[in-house]
Amino acid sequence: MTALNPSAPAKPGAAPPSAIRNLVRLVLSEYFVLVLCAVYALAMGPFVPELWSWEVASNILSDMMPLLIVAIGQTFVLVIAGIDLSVTAIISMAAVVGASVMSETNGYLSGGPLAVPAALAAMVALGLAIGTLNGLAVTRLNMPPFIVTLATRMFFAGSAVWFTTFHTSSSSIAGLPDSFTAFADASLLGIPQPMILAVVVTVVAHLILARSRLGRWIVAVGSNSKAATISGVPVARTIVATFAISGVCAALAAVIYESRMQTGSPITGENILLDIIGAVVIGGTSLFGGKGKVLWTVFGVLFLVILDTSMKLLGTSLFAIYIIKGGVILMAAVIDTLRHRILVTR
Amino acid sequence: MRANRREFTLGALTAIAAASGWSVAAKAADNKTIAVLFDGLYSEFWVAGLQIIRDDLKKRGFGIQEAISDKDDNKQFEQVRAAIAKKVDGIIIVQTDSNAVIPAIKAANKAKIPMVHFNRPPAKTDAFSVAIQADNQKIAREAVLYSCGVAKDSGKKHKAAILIGNLGDPNAIQRRDGFDEAVKQFPDNVEVVARIPTEWDADKAFAGLTNALQANPDISFVFTSSDFLLPQIIQSLKAANKWAPVGDEKHVILTGFDGFPSAYELMKDKYMDACGVQNLFFETTLAMQAILDLQAGKPVEKLLLDPGFAITQANIEAKKDEMWGYTLWKQKNG
Repeated sequence: MTALNPSAPAKPGAAPPSAIRNLVRLVLSEYFVLVLCAVYALAMGPFVPELWSWEVASNILSDMMPLLIVAIGQTFVLVIAGIDLSVTAIISMAAVVGASVMSETNGYLSGGPLAVPAALAAMVALGLAIGTLNGLAVTRLNMPPFIVTLATRMFFAGSAVWFTTFHTSSSSIAGLPDSFTAFADASLLGIPQPMILAVVVTVVAHLILARSRLGRWIVAVGSNSKAATISGVPVARTIVATFAISGVCAALAAVIYESRMQTGSPITGENILLDIIGAVVIGGTSLFGGKGKVLWTVFGVLFLVILDTSMKLLGTSLFAIYIIKGGVILMAAVIDTLRHRILVTR
Repeated sequence: MRANRREFTLGALTAIAAASGWSVAAKAADNKTIAVLFDGLYSEFWVAGLQIIRDDLKKRGFGIQEAISDKDDNKQFEQVRAAIAKKVDGIIIVQTDSNAVIPAIKAANKAKIPMVHFNRPPAKTDAFSVAIQADNQKIAREAVLYSCGVAKDSGKKHKAAILIGNLGDPNAIQRRDGFDEAVKQFPDNVEVVARIPTEWDADKAFAGLTNALQANPDISFVFTSSDFLLPQIIQSLKAANKWAPVGDEKHVILTGFDGFPSAYELMKDKYMDACGVQNLFFETTLAMQAILDLQAGKPVEKLLLDPGFAITQANIEAKKDEMWGYTLWKQKNG
């Protein structure tokens, strides 16, 4: 309290008020996580010199892309104060459906010129359909997003394994066309194709959330859905749209994962839910809704991937990595809760 | 307060990373470093395998970079790339999916780092890597042939159940085929009435065998494709009042595979008739030799077989010292 009292004498050795203000401003800045990335990478430099190599930087970017796309979809859902736990199952399901269409061994369109485009269309359509189903269940049946997406996650994760058994005696569908598997490594004008896809998704998502009427509706619904209804916002349609966007983003992430692993596996993406939600929360999107930016999610994903990569380079055990990541995400969630409480009490 | 928490997080992370960094740097100094990438430590077999590899590397004075992918193919691919960036001298890998590991092999080929698959071969590919694999079919066949002989000697016709592993894993397929080859030679003594798919899942194994025993209460011959399912088998047989040692009228002829410490104990106590044993010590030696040979530019076959062996009630005293499960059992029980 004394710090707020201009007449109180400054304590000897205390930091000047302007320095504290600058620090607080930095912490509250939307670029704080980006600064954190740079500080962390600098701090790790002496212990993991490879972190600053071109090879690892390019690995970080490559690892970021699918996670970024699916996390952007999750951002939309979190901004309306929802959550989408089904994204990993959408990734798994899209991966096996896509592979079943284009596989050169026993795909539905095996060897045909339309195999890859049809597979991509099937994957995106599947993501859109599952996302829309989630949204309709939330709005029409008035069910909590947590329960709806938990149920669809279980349903489609199981369905992906079941679907795979019809297409292979192995545990995954292989024999994907070279034109598809090359996507993960191919470049256009020196820029990796997955990065181009991720940048396009990021820019489009940013324009929707920050510059469009739909974006304003999404923020309004997340801030106060009753007020949004009174203001004439089509709340139900807005909620369905966010889940549909999340589903499509998950399907696009599945395209990158599948191309990268050169196989359609029903366990693709099964373990990344913590990373997806964690990255969005670390970025600063509020779990209480009404606040979030695509750019923040980019920073959150970058931080999480740098953290993960540095731990891998150190040879840290997976369990220690889980503990550290969990701790960071918990800390971000606690900060969000405190910030929300302060805003509510003001 | 908010600033302090964030600073604390950053400080804690840096400290943890620093501590890990020093230890890894100290371990790998002036030595070859081998990355050992497992997909999980789901049974005693894999725990023992990892420990035997660690001991072998330590004996050779090599550094080790370990990682577990928790059955996540994409994460394992990232771990392979991290190992390549660390410029390790070789990679020993246990993958989850035989198809999904192919991009990792290609990445290792590109970086000219030898890659060896420990106990689980990849799918067919143009990329080069060496797989160490037990001769599953032969080992399973030998173990089951002994048990079929026991069935024949009993003078009765036995109804059999087989617990099959994940069919995405070539090891599981080969063990099933070895079982089939053996029982086909004894059509008058063994009739297979239950084929239980477990997908290497203990719960599925328990439910499957329990159902099979209810549908066929006279099952008296069981083969498991892995010893890690033994606790579930024992539980099912006990529930069906069929858990009895060799010589007892209720005894179910039991054959295992892997050579776990628990399998040795069951053999010693005469509850198990035979067990196919993978020689983990030999497989580790093969893996290390393959990496050293590849580094030296010597040609190495793509598949190196561990012939393994069958341990039976007839040869247990003579063969137990070659059984890794016995070595671990002895360490534990003195």
